[in-house]
Amino acid sequence: MSAAWVLARRNLAGNRVRLLVSVGSVALALSLTIAFDAIFAGVANQLTKYVDRAGADVWVAQAGVRNLHMVASWLPASVTGAVNAVDGVAEVTPILYSTDTIAAGNDRAVAYVIGLPADAAMGMPWNVVDGADRPGPGEVIVDRGFASKAGVSIGDDVTVLGGEARVVGLSSGTASLVNSVAFVSFEDFQTMRGGAPVVSFVLVRVVSGASPQEVAAEIERVVPGVTAQSRAAFAVEERRLVMDMSADVIAIVNAVGFAVGLAVVALTVYVATLARRREYGALKALGAHNRFLYGVVLSQAVLSVALGFVVGLAFTELISLAIAGTDLNLELAISAPSLAKVGLFAAVIAGLAAILPIRQIASLDPAVVFRKGAAL
Amino acid sequence: MTTLTLDVRDVTKRFGDGETAVTAVRGVTLAVDPGEVVLIMGPSGSGKTTLLSMMGALLRPTSGSIHLDGTEISALSEARLPAIRLRQFGFIFQDFNLLSALSVRENVALVAELAGLSGRAARDKASALLTELGLGERLDFLPEKLSGGEKQRVAIARALINDPTLILADEPTANLDSKIGHEIMRLLRRIAKDQGRSVVIVSHDQRIRDIADRVLWLEDGAFKDMVTMATDPVCGMAVERERVVSGSRDGETYFFCSNGCRAEFLAADGQGPRNWIRAASALISRHTTPTGGRRGRD
Repeated sequence: MSAAWVLARRNLAGNRVRLLVSVGSVALALSLTIAFDAIFAGVANQLTKYVDRAGADVWVAQAGVRNLHMVASWLPASVTGAVNAVDGVAEVTPILYSTDTIAAGNDRAVAYVIGLPADAAMGMPWNVVDGADRPGPGEVIVDRGFASKAGVSIGDDVTVLGGEARVVGLSSGTASLVNSVAFVSFEDFQTMRGGAPVVSFVLVRVVSGASPQEVAAEIERVVPGVTAQSRAAFAVEERRLVMDMSADVIAIVNAVGFAVGLAVVALTVYVATLARRREYGALKALGAHNRFLYGVVLSQAVLSVALGFVVGLAFTELISLAIAGTDLNLELAISAPSLAKVGLFAAVIAGLAAILPIRQIASLDPAVVFRKGAAL
Repeated sequence: MTTLTLDVRDVTKRFGDGETAVTAVRGVTLAVDPGEVVLIMGPSGSGKTTLLSMMGALLRPTSGSIHLDGTEISALSEARLPAIRLRQFGFIFQDFNLLSALSVRENVALVAELAGLSGRAARDKASALLTELGLGERLDFLPEKLSGGEKQRVAIARALINDPTLILADEPTANLDSKIGHEIMRLLRRIAKDQGRSVVIVSHDQRIRDIADRVLWLEDGAFKDMVTMATDPVCGMAVERERVVSGSRDGETYFFCSNGCRAEFLAADGQGPRNWIRAASALISRHTTPTGGRRGRD
């Protein structure tokens, strides 16, 4: 271990209060950035949960439609048969889809409403905790979180797609911070929307061993007017849309976290350097090159930020675990790209924070050690 | 012919320009032999620190030259000076200037590492040196846990770790009590004599003059002619006998910094001398000649 690194480490450890303030503040600033990224990634995960759990290998939509959120996709009902006839397709399930609100008394909540055929092989709720797992005519399956919040239970009526439906099932894992998923029968959905012979998406399961990408490409080649994507590609598009929508907010929060982290580290490293100015002067007098002293200052900044990063990450993980244990429809998804970004932030913060103290040391006259009582 | 360790030739240091210029050191010439202990004394503001800074390659003279082991260090570029300071000089400061976050051993080892020794070798060398100086039980202590004398011994170990040619000490006893101060100075003298290192000490402390081979008096930036010093028995201040008031008691002559001290001393006549510091006169220095060569010997 280099002498500069050892000295930096000891300098930091020598003043526990300053170390605590520095590391704590950096941790908080970086944690803010990590947590915010994680919240948006979590929301994106939640929004793609239906895509991930519907059981389809390929999603077929109206031409040009590449995701679920905030879109309308309408295909002639005949497309279902056409898709089913494509090589590599094992089975299909047409669904109707719309973003709507579910109301129960004074409670209203945004929901993805899915219209399911009675014989649906895919697209059903994947975790029904109470009641039926498939809605019949005049019935609806809602997320239990919504039900709990709205005070409804099995047998109660809610308003969906402009009509009344009786709650027959409660599902779990079908809610996010911004919405939930509700399931009604295909016929009801069709009726409430005027009875047109259309479907929104065709969910496809490919034959065993077939590649979803290749089958999707074949569907697009054979069936006109559709866009077919593998589940993974469809989910990526969905996630990208969510992140694009929140990019500005994320950028602002990142900038705030960066600025706070930079200010704190710069100030603490500067104060720490100022407090040891005479010692740095003594080292210069003893023959230490400036580059050694710069190394000490930079190491202090890097250590502060690295410790802050680790503590901030641990703190965010703890928050994530704590939230997971609550009823909040919130998921913190800490991703590797987010950590890489915040790590880069931290490195830049350390570098910038060291500039001012380094300038201070560069101008330090080593003869200062002989000046008794001089203001240093 | 013996090579001089330090050869200061007609060195002047001026700060500022024009009417505001201040000459801190003027035309000082000094030669120091290997193993010699030179004590430079003088009042505050006499230029001692400036001279020490120039001798230690921390400050460049306005004119004149400084040679160390035959190399004109005053002509070296700034980039080369840190290496010279690291390997050729050992510095001892009044305030010790130990690194508060490092242990005793690390304080000493760090300087050896800066000079290129590996971490382990530097620590071993530091341990051996500190043990030799009686600090074997304090190797892992932080400086704040040490007494003043111990701190100064750590500073001496740090000054010696790279086997310097010349040790420069700035008021090394200022923060030590009389007994410890004397121990430190005897240690420095022993190092000079046993190891052949030259030692230049700047100090106000007259009590340490007996360990020096030569004592010089610097005043107004220049070495003065022979000066006889005495200690004011009332306030303890070092005073020049030729320039101050004096008084006699019990057949002995005493010298005072002011009439106030003299009056106080004489008014206490009859109470016995036990409460007063006994006057101590001392021959401090003979001035150096303005020409080159070996100068300044008593």
